Amino acid sequence: MNDDELMAGVRETYQVLDPVPAAVLAAARASIAWRAPAARLAELEHDRGGRAAGVRGGPARTLTFTCPGVTVEIEVTPDGRLREIHGRLVPSAAALVEVRHRDLPPGGITARTEPAGMFWLPRVPTGLVSLILRLDDGTSIVTSWIRL
Amino acid sequence: MARRDDTDELVVRARDGDGDAWARLVERHSGLLWSIARSYGLNDADAGDAVQTTWLRLVERIDELREPAAAACWLATTARHESLLLARRRGRTLPTVPAPREPEPDPARVVAARERLGMVGAALERLPLRCRTLLRLFALAPSHAELAAALGIPVGSVGPTRARCLESLRRLVP
Repeated sequence: MNDDELMAGVRETYQVLDPVPAAVLAAARASIAWRAPAARLAELEHDRGGRAAGVRGGPARTLTFTCPGVTVEIEVTPDGRLREIHGRLVPSAAALVEVRHRDLPPGGITARTEPAGMFWLPRVPTGLVSLILRLDDGTSIVTSWIRL
Repeated sequence: MARRDDTDELVVRARDGDGDAWARLVERHSGLLWSIARSYGLNDADAGDAVQTTWLRLVERIDELREPAAAACWLATTARHESLLLARRRGRTLPTVPAPREPEPDPARVVAARERLGMVGAALERLPLRCRTLLRLFALAPSHAELAAALGIPVGSVGPTRARCLESLRRLVP
């Protein structure tokens, strides 16, 4: 066998023994729907504490997302099998915050920022989560996806 | 195997809202991303998570990707990074070259695979795990650059490593 035949054999072996599950492919195909071309991306800068997720009284997990001129800080605490998010938009601005998650319908979990830029999102499911903040001035910000 | 040199074109088309182009990107690259996750010993759920996070990261950045041509390497690097994070979170200690914990194959599938693949499949089973893992990635990564990204090794060492493992496999194939 030449190299190409050997390689084809290797490829085929793994396709049979350990193919990519259909659900993984379906989720990947669907992920393009999360694109928000008009939104600015706030990237994850810090992710601290909360290693003992689910343990009450353990250190809360705090995450900081930034994009030029804006910071989104959140603290994640366990609430049974769900999570609770207390967050803050800096500098403070009036905005509608929404949780993006595969299992949530549009508008499923939302909150308005309070005067100091604080917001509270209860009963957030675990898994991959991103926040979208729609500011009253018409602009929007999305946070990087994180795993809760 | 399909040539992958139009990945950049697919990225640009997906960015312009072409759903088919996105679906083709997913079909083309998911096999390598899944194999990278497996090379870190991730189980089904975690490997699926690592692959999904990788695609979501591309969606996050697709509008600002300055070099669509580099998307393939970027995907491999991102999958390696996400897999590493998950593997660490599961509290596994990682050797420098990842040693996969392969899933328990379904016996019926193994029999079918043996019948179909015969010699190469049997030879793979007799290879050391490290070489088996490397060959799996080699078989799916079309370029040395992508492979280097998948393995986290310098591009220059890809060729010799690949040659050594391929030689080991060849010796086992009658």
